[in-house]
Amino acid sequence: MTFDFSFALSIVPTILAAMGMTIAVAIVSCFGAALLGFLLEILRRTGKPMGYLMRFVIDFIRSTPVLVQIYFLYFVLPFYGVTMPALVVGVLALSVYYSGYLAEVFKAGIDSIPSGQFEAAKALGLTRIDAIVFVVAPQMLRNVAAPMGNYFVSLLKATPYLAVIAVPEMLGAAMEVASDTFRYAEPMVIVGILFLILAVTIAQFVRLLEQRLLASAKR
Amino acid sequence: MSFLAILAGIFEGFGVTATITFYGMLYAVPFALVFGILQHFTAGPARVVVTSIIEFWRSSPVIILLFVFYYSLPSFGITLSGITVGAMALGLNIGGYGSQSVRAALQALDPGQVEAGRALGLRRLQILALIELPQAFKAMTPTFINQFIQLIKGTALVSLITLTDMTFRAKEISQLQYNPVGTYTALLVAYFLVCYPATIFGRWVEKRVSIEGRGQRDL
Repeated sequence: MTFDFSFALSIVPTILAAMGMTIAVAIVSCFGAALLGFLLEILRRTGKPMGYLMRFVIDFIRSTPVLVQIYFLYFVLPFYGVTMPALVVGVLALSVYYSGYLAEVFKAGIDSIPSGQFEAAKALGLTRIDAIVFVVAPQMLRNVAAPMGNYFVSLLKATPYLAVIAVPEMLGAAMEVASDTFRYAEPMVIVGILFLILAVTIAQFVRLLEQRLLASAKR
Repeated sequence: MSFLAILAGIFEGFGVTATITFYGMLYAVPFALVFGILQHFTAGPARVVVTSIIEFWRSSPVIILLFVFYYSLPSFGITLSGITVGAMALGLNIGGYGSQSVRAALQALDPGQVEAGRALGLRRLQILALIELPQAFKAMTPTFINQFIQLIKGTALVSLITLTDMTFRAKEISQLQYNPVGTYTALLVAYFLVCYPATIFGRWVEKRVSIEGRGQRDL
């Protein structure tokens, strides 16, 4: 079978229509990953047994492939009576996988806050939760803007993994076209090109946001 | 089938996982070094070309790269084996990331180093090979180890192009035994056993090359 350019062009709208799903999955997973990652990192700092347990959890998440984590959540959870739509499983899996990386990013971000800030929070009698929310988190976020942005872009590029559990994002849409028409070459090339454009655009946008954030921090 | 028997069954696929990782490194390391150095040296239009090649491999999601090369190359008359496609797509994707750490490490060096080399009458390539690269390697090592782990984890994808790696074996066992809980737990454990030693080693190296005085802040 030779590459059919007119067929390739004809499926562009179908795959473009799935771009919204890709972006939505990425955005929700980014928030999920950041929240879960922050929680893991805060728990890692709450004393010995919990600290070691969280360290193991973070290392375990980081040492296993995201594809396998997706399979695990998709095939194992129903056995314990937890049945969720593939989309929810996918978002959960991406959130869990990237939370492990973001916890490490947050660790570095918290460690680079001057220690006087922690002492001041204690001296002012803030509760631990207040200190975390109002003193640590805002300063940490500024410290981690750049690496966190990189992981968000990386998460966007992990969304096509969800095609393996039939989430209709861009690759999923392309696979559907492929299995309907028995032509694989064209949908794959088109989804490749469209995703490359999307990823490069979003990466530039994230870089711009980062610079804004850093510039406003300097003022 | 006991958990250990499942684990042993999964490790029957370790040969393929290791082969793809090994060949992947053969693509990744030369690509990272050559393109990282080229990006460091070039300027103007040449740099745009170098950057575009890197961005193509780095910004495309690896699962899409794999599918594009596996499904689309044959319609352009190029038929490659699954192992070659897997190693190339995964390796060059990781190589794209690696090139950025090579470039960053070279750019982070004190410009005085190059000037000193010039003053000693060394040629530019001699400066690169004798002065810049040896120092840059130190800064690159932790990132390279992390990317090596990413490559191992990425090989789980080749199960989607019908290579019998650890993930593919797990899927087979799961279908034969109808025991997804045991199988996918064993698969997570299998990857953890393979990747965790590298994670520990990477952390140890990172500690040795990182800046001192950035200890943990207790909350």
